Amino acid sequence: MHGIDMFIVISYLVAIPAFGFYFKRFIKTGQDYFLAGRMLPFWVISMSIIGTQIGATDFVGAAGGAYRFGIAQAHFEWIGALPAMMISALLFIPYYWKAGVYTVPEFLGKRYNLTVRIMLAILWVFWMIFFLGVLFWTAGLMLNEYLGLPIWLCLVATALIVGIYTITGGLAAVAMTDVIQTVVMFIGGIALSALGVWALGGWTPMVEKIIPTNPQHFHLFLPVDHDTYPWTGVLFGLAFVMSPAWWCCNQAMIQRALGARSEWDAKAGMVFAMFPKMLIPFVTVLPGLIALAMNPNLLGANMDKAFPWLIKNLLPTGLAGLVFASFMAALISSVDSILNSTATLLTRDIYQRLFVRDKPDKHYLDVGRILTLVFIILAIILAPLTKLFPGIFVAGATMLSLFQGPTFGITLLGIYWKRATRWGGMFGLIGGVICSSILFWGLHWKFLDIAWWSFMTSVILNIVISLLTPAEPVEKLKNLVYGLVMTGDE
Amino acid sequence: MAEWLANIPLYVPKIIAVLVFAGGMIWTWRRPKSFIYKDAPDHKRWRDLRIWITFVMICQIAVYLYF
Repeated sequence: MHGIDMFIVISYLVAIPAFGFYFKRFIKTGQDYFLAGRMLPFWVISMSIIGTQIGATDFVGAAGGAYRFGIAQAHFEWIGALPAMMISALLFIPYYWKAGVYTVPEFLGKRYNLTVRIMLAILWVFWMIFFLGVLFWTAGLMLNEYLGLPIWLCLVATALIVGIYTITGGLAAVAMTDVIQTVVMFIGGIALSALGVWALGGWTPMVEKIIPTNPQHFHLFLPVDHDTYPWTGVLFGLAFVMSPAWWCCNQAMIQRALGARSEWDAKAGMVFAMFPKMLIPFVTVLPGLIALAMNPNLLGANMDKAFPWLIKNLLPTGLAGLVFASFMAALISSVDSILNSTATLLTRDIYQRLFVRDKPDKHYLDVGRILTLVFIILAIILAPLTKLFPGIFVAGATMLSLFQGPTFGITLLGIYWKRATRWGGMFGLIGGVICSSILFWGLHWKFLDIAWWSFMTSVILNIVISLLTPAEPVEKLKNLVYGLVMTGDE
Repeated sequence: MAEWLANIPLYVPKIIAVLVFAGGMIWTWRRPKSFIYKDAPDHKRWRDLRIWITFVMICQIAVYLYF
């Protein structure tokens, strides 16, 4: 890496933790730490949501996917996100915010019972720990590749960069640094795409280079027998189940909105995040198509190297440093958010609920900080194992698709069907997870199809068992269920 | 796989996608103003979230019709 590029990257990696550390002075209570004192304005929430959602693996994976399948890869940012974000903003977030909860499992615990809360919290924490290991390993590899430092030093450097402000500043520091990281991410990504399209002579010449050998690359919907993205899976699995589950029930996404200063800010944070979300394919998918037009010879697993290939072969000095910094921004803004959300889930839903219930607020603030540190150390230990046992980590990351459908099923019925009971919710969740496990490990179904059928199983079980068990008292459901909150406004 | 499913032309999912976006847009305009503005510091036009959702959905309809 050239000296100028190195200077840009190192300046960036020093500036971010310094800026985040500034917010330590505002942290006095547990609510300050876990929910930024419920003072976040909508624009911070929007930027933080996008920063959290787009990780470095998205850059590499989406560009590789676009190289392989074409523009269909953009479904994940368009129909696989935008309608769900609208639903989340107007149908789910008002209830979470009104209930004054810290986590989504806490809300479902109030709506159903403690078993549902603990089960969901454990599932999310397990998935987040696996995901943290993968993210740390990606960060270590990137720093190792571009800065030439030994891998262990890169992992420790990542831990220091993220740990300094995540441990001290909590959600406020995470959200505020995410704002800067999202801007850097977009500047670097758009610069790369613009330069690539310009080098090819414009959009039309690029399309004309790709179409003769890849006629389906500019079709959003692919045939029903397509291996990865059949249109049935995209619509029924991704758009109707997986994306609402991600945007309405994922703690890392929702926690920002729970820290909003008002209900309007909570809703607006998600709505205004739809704008950058709509543009993300220009940052992640378009580079894959540019790489295909420039070099159609990347085959097999090498297709995932489309993005790194573009950085190495297209960018001039200075811009390479900026794009690499945007790559790191995408990664760090995901790591810090997942660390913060994991600590929140474990502190609020497990430690405070099951083990130590009546300590002063300061105690839980300290526990949150200690747990964040523990997760950082755990991520450093797990990171090299992703290389040694890739199958375990792929399975761990895939685990999300196993419980997302059932989670969305019980949340949807929990808010919009007064008759759903604690037993219906519990067996809906357990039955849905069992169904998706059988489909995944037993029948080897595609994850998009699993999401749909596990969601349907969960909903049907919830309805049947709820109708067979006594209804929940109205007092318990106040402020949690449609029709029993915000009277006259719904 | 069922043969009837494989024979469905690819403009059908395109129509479904457009209906999803258009339906979402229409649904937001059926939300009462009091709900949209709830807790907002003022009732300025730009705070009406339905306008922004409509803009995004129209862009998406255009994209899904183009590709």
